[in-house]
Amino acid sequence: MSVGTVLPGQPITLPARGPAPQLGTGVYERDGQIRASLLGAPHFDGSTLTISRIQPHIPVPGSVVIGFVTRMSPLQALMSITVVDGVPLPSGEEFTGVIRIQDVRATEKDRVKIGESFRGGDVVRSQVISLGDARSYFVTTARNDLGVIFATSEAGVTLEPVSWQEMRCPKTGKLEKRKCAKPLDMA
Amino acid sequence: MAQYVFDRRRNNGPEDSFPPVFDSDLRSVASKSEPKPRKDRSPLDIRPIFLQPGLITQATGSTYIETERTKIACAIYGPRQSKNTSFHEKGRLNVEVKFAPYSCQRRRSPMHDAEDRSIAMAIHQALVSSVRLETFPKATIDIFITIIETDGIEGCVAAGSIAASTALTHAGIEIVGLVISCSAAIINSEVWLDPTDEESSSSNGTLVLSCMPALQKVTSVWQKGRMERKFQCMKACQNRSDDIHAVVGQALLEAAR
Repeated sequence: MSVGTVLPGQPITLPARGPAPQLGTGVYERDGQIRASLLGAPHFDGSTLTISRIQPHIPVPGSVVIGFVTRMSPLQALMSITVVDGVPLPSGEEFTGVIRIQDVRATEKDRVKIGESFRGGDVVRSQVISLGDARSYFVTTARNDLGVIFATSEAGVTLEPVSWQEMRCPKTGKLEKRKCAKPLDMA
Repeated sequence: MAQYVFDRRRNNGPEDSFPPVFDSDLRSVASKSEPKPRKDRSPLDIRPIFLQPGLITQATGSTYIETERTKIACAIYGPRQSKNTSFHEKGRLNVEVKFAPYSCQRRRSPMHDAEDRSIAMAIHQALVSSVRLETFPKATIDIFITIIETDGIEGCVAAGSIAASTALTHAGIEIVGLVISCSAAIINSEVWLDPTDEESSSSNGTLVLSCMPALQKVTSVWQKGRMERKFQCMKACQNRSDDIHAVVGQALLEAAR
């Protein structure tokens, strides 16, 4: 079902028959009444009542984020999150994410080296696992489809992924080690 | 006049300056004590409202509001990462109000003064209970309100609250309900809604009521002076807020289409 656009605070009329829905984004319950907290059209995602949000929003645990590596240390890599769940953040409003060494991949965690997984400036797709600390979110690249999606070589050319941990420079033929992401169309 | 300090970050003009005084001003001072009756509206009428969301493209959400001689632009940035703060489980809401130097009869200094801060606190108090802060942990929302022209401080607080709440909705930030503000003044034991600067200065007391008409809840009451019939005043403001809520809702729905 889909009624028209509702304003924040407006009660949402539900079909008379049916169980009470779960509340997703954009709706809340107060005094036994389900109301909207966003401007938009409420709809059902399965059994969850929700109002979609198209504006940029903050990362939450489970969000798939894209950003570029800004700083590295032997224990972690810092990245600047610029895209959250497919929605780019406005310029200057990036969030900080931390890829810890134990979150780089799911196998052989004790043998991971940050320098062989990421380089400064690489564009990385990752997933938020927790809110982290005061300044940064903890993100992981432990899944196959997470990791580096764009990188440039020392010669300044775009690298081509050849395996899950190697990329090749088309200009010089040199192999560089990265934690590569599996392309989404190969799933 | 404040103590003169050489500002190295601005072009410094003369140390002192005063606005000109006209003969007509001197003539009207003598008859200023008696408040003039309203010409074009009844005491319970408010000035017409023009409201347009989405005029500032760089901002996540923005609104421009105009009520005759009060003109306010509001911009919202965020949710974005907090700087230099400790971890907090809920989000934070910051409100900053700025008067343009040309916004008043008498030129205002570009620096912040106490009046900017008190208006910012009044608007923050009106809005903070309507925002669902738990939906953006660790982040902050910054609201910047620029007052382009002003005709009374109460009108600025009321129009600024309406503009900020509309901009929050336009920015896609989850709020419990739209916040609508209405100001009133007591003149000769009579309630006058939406007073101008002249009416405010000749009144016994003024009041700004902020509420959420959808939930029938009051978020803030801001009072100055002496009020003889507070609750009648608040009731009149609340009734008028329902009408303003319809105007705001219409503007938001048209912008969303």
